[in-house]
Amino acid sequence: MHRLPKVSGWPWELSAKLCSPMGVLALEQEHCVTQASPSSEGETRQSRATPALRTILVFGFLYLFLVGVSMLEAGIKAFGADFQADLLNGVEHPLAGLAAGVLATVLVQSSSVSTSTIVGLVGAGTLTIDAAVPMIMGANIGTTVTNTLVALGSARRNEEFRRAFAGATMHDFFNLMAVVVFLPLQVATDFLSRAAEGIAELLGGNVGGSTAKSPIKQAVKEPVGWIKDGVDSLTSSDEVLGGLLLGFGILVILLALTVITRNMRRLIASQIETGLNAIVARGGGLVGMFFGVLITIAVQSSSITTSILVPLIGSGVLAVRNAYPITLGANLGTTITALLASLAVDLQAGLVVALTHTLFNVAAIVTIYPVRRVRYVPVQLSERLAGLALDNRAYVMFYVAGLFVAVPLLGIAIFG
Amino acid sequence: MVMRFFRSHEPASLEQVQSQFLQMLAHDRDAFDAATATLLSGGDPTSVGPTLRTTDAQVNELEREIRRELVVHASVHGARDIAAVLVYMSIVKDAERIGDYAKNIFDLAAGGVSFQEAPDRSRMMTHRDRVSNMITEAGTIFAADDQEAANLLLAEAEHMRDVYDELVDALVVSDGVARDAVPRALFYRHLKRITAHLANLLTAVVVPVDKLDYIDEPRDSAP
Repeated sequence: MHRLPKVSGWPWELSAKLCSPMGVLALEQEHCVTQASPSSEGETRQSRATPALRTILVFGFLYLFLVGVSMLEAGIKAFGADFQADLLNGVEHPLAGLAAGVLATVLVQSSSVSTSTIVGLVGAGTLTIDAAVPMIMGANIGTTVTNTLVALGSARRNEEFRRAFAGATMHDFFNLMAVVVFLPLQVATDFLSRAAEGIAELLGGNVGGSTAKSPIKQAVKEPVGWIKDGVDSLTSSDEVLGGLLLGFGILVILLALTVITRNMRRLIASQIETGLNAIVARGGGLVGMFFGVLITIAVQSSSITTSILVPLIGSGVLAVRNAYPITLGANLGTTITALLASLAVDLQAGLVVALTHTLFNVAAIVTIYPVRRVRYVPVQLSERLAGLALDNRAYVMFYVAGLFVAVPLLGIAIFG
Repeated sequence: MVMRFFRSHEPASLEQVQSQFLQMLAHDRDAFDAATATLLSGGDPTSVGPTLRTTDAQVNELEREIRRELVVHASVHGARDIAAVLVYMSIVKDAERIGDYAKNIFDLAAGGVSFQEAPDRSRMMTHRDRVSNMITEAGTIFAADDQEAANLLLAEAEHMRDVYDELVDALVVSDGVARDAVPRALFYRHLKRITAHLANLLTAVVVPVDKLDYIDEPRDSAP
């Protein structure tokens, strides 16, 4: 009697049959078929094909994602040098770049999209590495808005809200701490971007501005060339061509990442669940961190990983301190998207920025996590904020609007 | 450990939950058999007591573990399996209560009651054997999602509850001494509650989530 209807969704979201608890038990729960069903053989064939189809879909959209990054790069180039100079002037100050990174990520609710766009801009030669690094750091902060918003779902249940809000904002505090420590150091010494340049050179690239060649780039550039030629034949205006390519590029990136994330989440849901059950039972620590890295690499979204944790923390099933290392792992895992995006851009500088993103998150973990007294500062701050928010919900509004909207807007207004 | 997660072909969480739920029922039956053996066959309460308490602790831990796993499942999968999650959240309590009633039966024996020489022992043994088997049957039917068998067992459980009510009612108005009537009334009352909890979990096989536990209403009225 608990058999549920087929889920209808986007055409690329392959439907999964939902069953009674008992039907679920008989076969793989992702695509269960009740034993009594006369049409079960056909359904089983279809359900067995689902993971394979999803995998093909993920690879297809991964390719489309790279095409999107390349299209965005081509669009920016088409705008010409003046546009590039204007854009660069707007974010030249590190604090303006940081603020722009936060705002852009809050707007698209995905650091994967914003960092891929930044990599595309750097790869096109529009942004310098120096200007891009603070933006990347800002993207790290901006991406935490999603799980903070998820925590607001518990706002009516006091204890649940206190735990959920602390669990969500510890991510914010960790990223803020990392920026406070590493942004001034980076501005003063360029140590992160220099290390990234070193690694990029070791990987065989010439960071000094030359165009990198690879089969992946060739495969990605070809369809972009066709689209460019098509649009070119319709208009002679560089601005229109640039605008269309830029808009399509961002749209394709958004679409591709959405599809990849949704399908990967379905594909590895059982593994996520098994891992979380083990961490809930035995605690997190470094295993939790690795788990966070791997899950986030797989689903290409730290927001997915951290948003799954928030209800677990809110319900009290997962302690904030056990969720903390998973969150840090998610922070690191999400850098994979920018690294993938760098495969599609012309200049090796794109790879340098993507590597800087990874190194920044590694450096933050290596600096903050090992020393116990320092390690839990973000957790303690988040618990204090959650206590305040419990007493007066206005703190929540001020915090969310302030950190993710007002302060970045002020930053751009003052330093931009 | 982390890589094992990705390579593992372990059963998905709801299968794991079902296996743990069946394990709870197996512990329930063990506890029930041990408790009734003490009461009806002269088992030693001092040796059975610690085992029973260990089994009860295992049942309670399994209940908490299942609840945690259900929260994790709902967080990961969203609303996809919400009906199954709610069903398990409800019936896991029934399985836990069966263990508690087994403990209550044992408490009668621990308090000095023994039906080993009682003239009505064979009737009590018959009921004991039937309830003991029903615990396993309910689990098997639930796991197999066998609606026909569930309906049959639900009908039998309904009949048994009526029988226990009649037995208790007769004891309430009997002229017998309290030390004979009260333990028997309590014993039949506990059997009735165990049967009711088994029926509750079987309703999960035949009625929608909102009708869970409402076994007294005509079953054909379910939409």
